[in-house]
Amino acid sequence: MDARAVSEAIHPPPAGFWRRSVFSTDHKVIGRQFLWLGLVFLAVAGTLAMLIRWQLAHPGAPVPVVGSLLFPATGGVVSPAAYTALFTMHGTIMIFFALTPILIGGFGNFCLPLLIGARDMAFPVLNMLSFWTMFAATAILTASFFTPLGPPAAGWTSYPTLSTAVGAPGVAQTLWVLAIYLNGASSVMGAVNYITTVIRFRAPGMTFFRMPLTVWGLWLASILNALFVPVLAAGAVLLFFDRVFGTRFFIAGSAIKPGGDPVLYQHLFWIFGHPEVYILILPAWGIAGDLLSFFSRKPAYGYKVTVGALIAIVVLSGVVYGHHMFVTGMSPLLGEGFMVLTMLISVPSVILGVGWLGTVWRGSIRLTTPMLFALGLVTVFGLGGFTGLFLADVLADVYLHDTFFVVGHFHLTMSAAVLLGAFAAIYFWFPKMFGRMMNEPLGKLHFALTLVTVIVTFGLQLVIGYAGMQRRLADPSAYAFLRPLMPLNRVVSQAAFVMGAAQILFVVNFFYSLFRGPKAPANPWQVGTLDWTVPSPPPHHNFDQVPRVFVGPHELGNPAVKAAHGVDFQPQNQESPQEPPG
Amino acid sequence: MPFAVALALFPVLPRDASTHGHRVDGVLGYLTVTTSVAFGVMLLILLAALLLHRGRNRTAHYTHGVRPRDRAAALAAGALVLFGIDAVAVVRSASGLRSDFWHYPDGNPDAYRVEVTAQQWAWNFRYPGADGVFNTPDDVVTLNELRVPVGRPVYLQLTSKDVVHSFYLPNFRTKIDAVPGSVTRLWFEAREPGTFEIACAQHCGAWHYKMRGELTALNEADLTRWLGRAAADAALRYDAADRPAHDGWPWMPAP
Repeated sequence: MDARAVSEAIHPPPAGFWRRSVFSTDHKVIGRQFLWLGLVFLAVAGTLAMLIRWQLAHPGAPVPVVGSLLFPATGGVVSPAAYTALFTMHGTIMIFFALTPILIGGFGNFCLPLLIGARDMAFPVLNMLSFWTMFAATAILTASFFTPLGPPAAGWTSYPTLSTAVGAPGVAQTLWVLAIYLNGASSVMGAVNYITTVIRFRAPGMTFFRMPLTVWGLWLASILNALFVPVLAAGAVLLFFDRVFGTRFFIAGSAIKPGGDPVLYQHLFWIFGHPEVYILILPAWGIAGDLLSFFSRKPAYGYKVTVGALIAIVVLSGVVYGHHMFVTGMSPLLGEGFMVLTMLISVPSVILGVGWLGTVWRGSIRLTTPMLFALGLVTVFGLGGFTGLFLADVLADVYLHDTFFVVGHFHLTMSAAVLLGAFAAIYFWFPKMFGRMMNEPLGKLHFALTLVTVIVTFGLQLVIGYAGMQRRLADPSAYAFLRPLMPLNRVVSQAAFVMGAAQILFVVNFFYSLFRGPKAPANPWQVGTLDWTVPSPPPHHNFDQVPRVFVGPHELGNPAVKAAHGVDFQPQNQESPQEPPG
Repeated sequence: MPFAVALALFPVLPRDASTHGHRVDGVLGYLTVTTSVAFGVMLLILLAALLLHRGRNRTAHYTHGVRPRDRAAALAAGALVLFGIDAVAVVRSASGLRSDFWHYPDGNPDAYRVEVTAQQWAWNFRYPGADGVFNTPDDVVTLNELRVPVGRPVYLQLTSKDVVHSFYLPNFRTKIDAVPGSVTRLWFEAREPGTFEIACAQHCGAWHYKMRGELTALNEADLTRWLGRAAADAALRYDAADRPAHDGWPWMPAP
């Protein structure tokens, strides 16, 4: 392709406001739309978490300040029914409408074409449709807050028969099912797009093993999305039929009325649900892998081994879901099989960890805010990952199942670690997205407060669960054996409140930097991936010339490059001065 | 590491009142110690790197690819976790399941059988009475109160009337879901007399947190005395027309 043909392929940006900023097909605009949507719902779900923690610290006491506004019927007290709605909506929104849009929708869209040297996604219109489908899903879920019998309250897992007319007669649960279905449709549209884009739209020379780990993480997460979200959609459709058309897929039969099996839903849900954990964490792992290398100023340690470990985890993630169902009365043979398969995930996970440690070891570490968040992710995921072994082990799980140990474990792995990854991504790509730098000291303070409170909050939840406290209790002090744990519950809540308050620092930093931050240069972090070879923010068509790629994403600290160009990084589209040694 | 220290300082597990719960506690303890050590090592390396290899003036050590000793280090770490933690936990767990927790006392004539029907938000317990057969007029039925013998296997079959519940005995280190439309099973053995809490572990609606029962483990003599009186009581109150009260089922043979 000669340069003329390439320049002719550039479309000018659309002129009108609606086409440019609202119904845009530009991946950068769509990425920012997903980011805004995710951040708004992150705030909503975080607020719900604060209310949950208030109730667990002070059951039956009216919520201060906002209580009478939110719960006028009870004088500001969180009623048991309201409590079940709180944790249901907290989980649903966090997973489907906050973390997924921020990382996969937001940074997936924004970064993926830039990182592989493409001018846009493979299917730009499908991309736009993916966002607006997600938007419709959020509208429906938001509407469910205001229905006559109250918001959905069957848990984010919404097991039948609690989620059928038997346990949830209100229209809210039907809206929940619709919102989840549309959310899944949006995810699958995105997934198909990302998979195709990575396979077909890599710039010349951008081989698979020259892709940044961020792209690997997003691509593998998209493959899982495309394979397993449809399974959740199937469960949602059947549940919708049960609720609306009177079928009995998940409602047990009786002697005179044939029926289905509520446990079938649990299979469908967890066939999706376990890969979902990896759908959320894979992009964050990829981002952390890149950032650790960038800010240690040396190549990612064992890059290909890390990629292999990621692929192994992706493959294993599809065959371990049964550990979520050890106490449903499953066959002992299945139980032991799922135990062994689940345990195996620890091996590639440890290899992944060795890669992270090897990357920072003997580096020239720069503790920028994105780096700190990446290091926080490694720490928090380490703690959460090791506690996963307890839940893979049937004997330990039979005791720990449905306790706060599970809550602490999955918050550390698929929530806190993912959130820290999302913050790392925001602090890192903010200059590229919005053309301005974020404030570093404020970012570091935000990091310190967040990391400490995350570890205290979810670490103590592990202890509380180890002591036997079940999840989803509106008032744990109803049980004598849980009463001694109430002081610990209050400590968890206080840590959570500080965590919540610390996020105000982020909001202030975000908006201040958006308008008043110093203008960002094209390559503020001095790294070599393609996104940093274009201006901040990039032009509508990303690359004036489709780049030609010569080296991997982490060419940092190469003495030959330093000698030739005076910098310690080599842009991927720059030819090597000589063969890198060794 | 902090987790292990915290657990050593505060023995947080509920009192173990069962014959076999120590097997669970053993696995929990093993996993706690080993994973804490593994996590501690990881943190130490990370902190050492941050302390030693920080700063703008340092030249990063430039390497490419994976040298044999790097590959060996990664494999060693993987193998250490696989054989040091995973394999031991799996073997101990499988042995605990096969010899105790999933080794149901089907052939044991001494086993004390009870049928459990969960409902929003209570536990119904049905004892077979003197004839040893369920769903007959001499059945004893209790609400939220399960009385069992000490030192004999207690064998439960469970179902639910409405939504999925989970029968959870913290002091016996076990739990099992009660699922509408199917019968699940659970067995345990009380080591000592006493009263312990029965909890619901599965979210089952607004009043999930109040679905609390009590398990009383009695000496054989006390249990026989109570069961005799309760059976006589039940016979007096038996009403054949009250069909909803007869929610028992013939004891299911082992699958």
